[in-house]
Amino acid sequence: MKLLILIPVFLLSGCAVFKTTVPVTQKFPDSVPELMKKCEDLKTVEGTSVPITDMLKVIVENYSLYYQCSNKVDGWQEWYNEQKKIFDSVK
Amino acid sequence: MFILSVLPEFIIHLIFAIGILGLIAGFVLGFVPLIGKYKLPVQIISILVFSLGLYLEGGLADYKEWELKVKEMEAKVAKAEAESARLNTELQASVADKGKVIKEKGETIIKYVDRYKDRTVLQTVEGPERVRVEEVIKYVENCPVPKELLDIHNNAAKLNKGDKK
Repeated sequence: MKLLILIPVFLLSGCAVFKTTVPVTQKFPDSVPELMKKCEDLKTVEGTSVPITDMLKVIVENYSLYYQCSNKVDGWQEWYNEQKKIFDSVK
Repeated sequence: MFILSVLPEFIIHLIFAIGILGLIAGFVLGFVPLIGKYKLPVQIISILVFSLGLYLEGGLADYKEWELKVKEMEAKVAKAEAESARLNTELQASVADKGKVIKEKGETIIKYVDRYKDRTVLQTVEGPERVRVEEVIKYVENCPVPKELLDIHNNAAKLNKGDKK
């Protein structure tokens, strides 16, 4: 009879032993459409003997393309850092 | 626990209450003649019913706590998703604006370079500035860039093309 008393004690301890994981998952964050655009290829100078102004224009265009691409890379870095902060805040 | 989602909550409380009443009857009220006659079966059955009731009560409490945690987590995830969407909108605008400014600055410089393409610009400048611009135009007209130098520039611009190593 006394052993039967142990049954509720045993069952009660079960509540503390079996823990379940909360079944809520986070969705992978969406990307920014502007950042998904590929960087353009650098331009070349066409012709055999061109004025220096034409070459300078191509060089300026290429600098502009570089900075536009660099702007996207900076954007990706900011996106990752901020999204990671948001992701880590959900615990 | 599956049974908790099927069984109404009051049934669980009822089983637990019957178990407690049975224990009281079996262990405390043994002196009552009717109960005293069936004391042992009442004790055994009431302990089993009490055990089941206790188990289900524990499960129910755990289930409620778990449901609360799910709701808390869902609220946190919803907040994070809203924050993430807000960040994306801001970033989209910021990257697009910076890109536009860079492009416009480049176009402005190109317009400035175009000034030296022909002599019409000389009609708009006067004095020492005119002499300087004329010198630059003369240089542009007489000194085209040789093909060899253009090839070096073009090869550098195509560094990412060709065979992959």
